[in-house]
Formats: sequence, C-alpha cells, structure tokens
Amino acid sequence: MPELPELNPVIHGKLRLALLSLLTGVEEAEFTWLRLKTGSTDGNLGAQLLKLEEAGYVAVEKKFVQRKPQTLYRMTEAGRQALTDYVQALKQLLGAAIDA
Amino acid sequence: MTENMEGLELKDRLNLIENMIAEGRRGTESWGWAFVFWGVAYYIAIAWSSGGFGGPTWSRNYLAWPVTMIGGVVLSWILAARKSRKQPATTIGRSIGSVWAGMGISTFPIMFALGISGRMDTHTAVAIIGAMLGAANMTSSIILKWKMQFACGVVWLTTGAASCFLSENQAGILFLVAIFFCQIVFGIYGMIADSRKQKVNGTGQGVSHA
Repeated sequence: MPELPELNPVIHGKLRLALLSLLTGVEEAEFTWLRLKTGSTDGNLGAQLLKLEEAGYVAVEKKFVQRKPQTLYRMTEAGRQALTDYVQALKQLLGAAIDA
Repeated sequence: MTENMEGLELKDRLNLIENMIAEGRRGTESWGWAFVFWGVAYYIAIAWSSGGFGGPTWSRNYLAWPVTMIGGVVLSWILAARKSRKQPATTIGRSIGSVWAGMGISTFPIMFALGISGRMDTHTAVAIIGAMLGAANMTSSIILKWKMQFACGVVWLTTGAASCFLSENQAGILFLVAIFFCQIVFGIYGMIADSRKQKVNGTGQGVSHA
C-alpha cells in the first residue's frame, strides 16, 4: 500500500488556503480586496499573509498611489507549486478516504 | 466516525479552493464610465473646435483637440487609479488597458501632426478616429467576448469609411451620431451591466479564521 502524503501545514490553514487560491486567479491584489473576499479582520489577515510571505509563497509590494499607501500581494512560483502539491495530496487523501 | 470527519474536512478544503479560484477570476472591472467620459470629451472638443465656446473656427482652433484629449487622459488616469484600488490586477485588465493605451498613443501624434501642418479636415479626422476606435473596440470585444462592443467597433469602422464618401457636413453629423451611440449609449448600457454584475457577485466569503 503506498504511503499517504502529508498536507503542507502552512497552506492547510483555512484562511491561508483561501488567500493562495484567490491569488491564483489574479496577477496581484490589494490588501483591502483580499479582506473583502475573505471577510477576515485586518489583524488576522495581516498575520496569515505574513506567514505566507515568510514561507515564500507570496510576495509583497508597498507603494503610494495618489499619496495613499497601497500594499499589493502576488503569488510566487513557489506558492503556485506548493498549492499544486497540496491539491495533489488532498486528492490522494480523499481517494484513500473513499477507498477506506 | 473520525475518518468520516477527516474526509469531510478534506472535501471542505477542496471546495474552498475551487470557490476562491472562481471568486478571484470573477471579473469586477467596470468600463462603462470610461465610454461615457470619452464621449463627453469628444463633444467638448468638437464644440470648442467649431467655435461653440466663442472661439475661432475648426481649422484655426488647433488647441481644442490636443488640450481636451490631454485633459481627458489625465482625468481618466486619476479616475482609473482610484477605481483600481478596489480591484485586483488581472491579465485581462492589463490586455484591455494596453489596447486602449496603444490606440491613444498611436492616434495622438498623427492627429497632432495633421493639425499643425494644416492638413486636417473633417473627412480625415473622422476616418482616422473611426478606424482607431473601431479597431480598439473590436480587439477588446474579442478579449471580453462582448458582442455589443463588437457591434460598436463595426459602427466606428463604418463611420470612418463612410466619411470618405460624404460631404464635410454629413461626415461631421455621422461622427456626432456615432459618438452618441457608441460612447454615450453604449457606456450607459455598460454601467448598468457592471452594476448588475456587482450585485450578483456580492461580497465576502466569510473565511475568517485560519
């Protein structure tokens, strides 16, 4: 029997998973848009995005547009690969759960 | 029981991924306002250049179009920057933006050169603007898969081509009619469609905990 894969703990968190999935469909997104789509609080969202940034899954760019600060997040290649691997592992685990 | 719970949690995660990817790709860009804005800008430029604001006639008032168009670019850039704060950057958005920026950048030097060389007349102006707006509308309609915008592109191309065969007055009137339908009416239709789309999309998925 093949060994079951482990799920990446950085991605497995519900909000972090939602954030990575959202970022796959866009080139880059602002903090407020991510907050709107996830319905999360500023503090929680910032903390989860920091974890993703530390893992190298998202890249952050801070700039000023019309004198207003803007924080943009974009998924990195490592993040894209990690999400793909996570989905593969999830499918394998679900297959095993159905077989059991 | 525990295995069932785990299975449900894993399915829940898979559903979350699917929903969020779909949510991220859902278009929220709104373009309708830009058509109305530029329609009004064309009317202002035409009124000014034809002496509607008490100035000299079309051929002599060479400042009307460049000043209105540069003002339009600056103002629409400010408005677009404000709107883009609420929207993510997407490949489609960048493609559409580059089509219109390319159209503007290509048209401006030609029109400016015709203006200062004194070779600008209504036929030439309508033919060039019609061709450029027709091409831009058609290209962006293909990207957006929007038949109504494609129809606008056809109207602009037809206007540009027809102006070559009409009298100066007829070409001018045709230009005004094309602006009304392809900029003002189409823009208002686009704004209504945008607002409907945003109501249907709703906001917030409630993934509030890690």
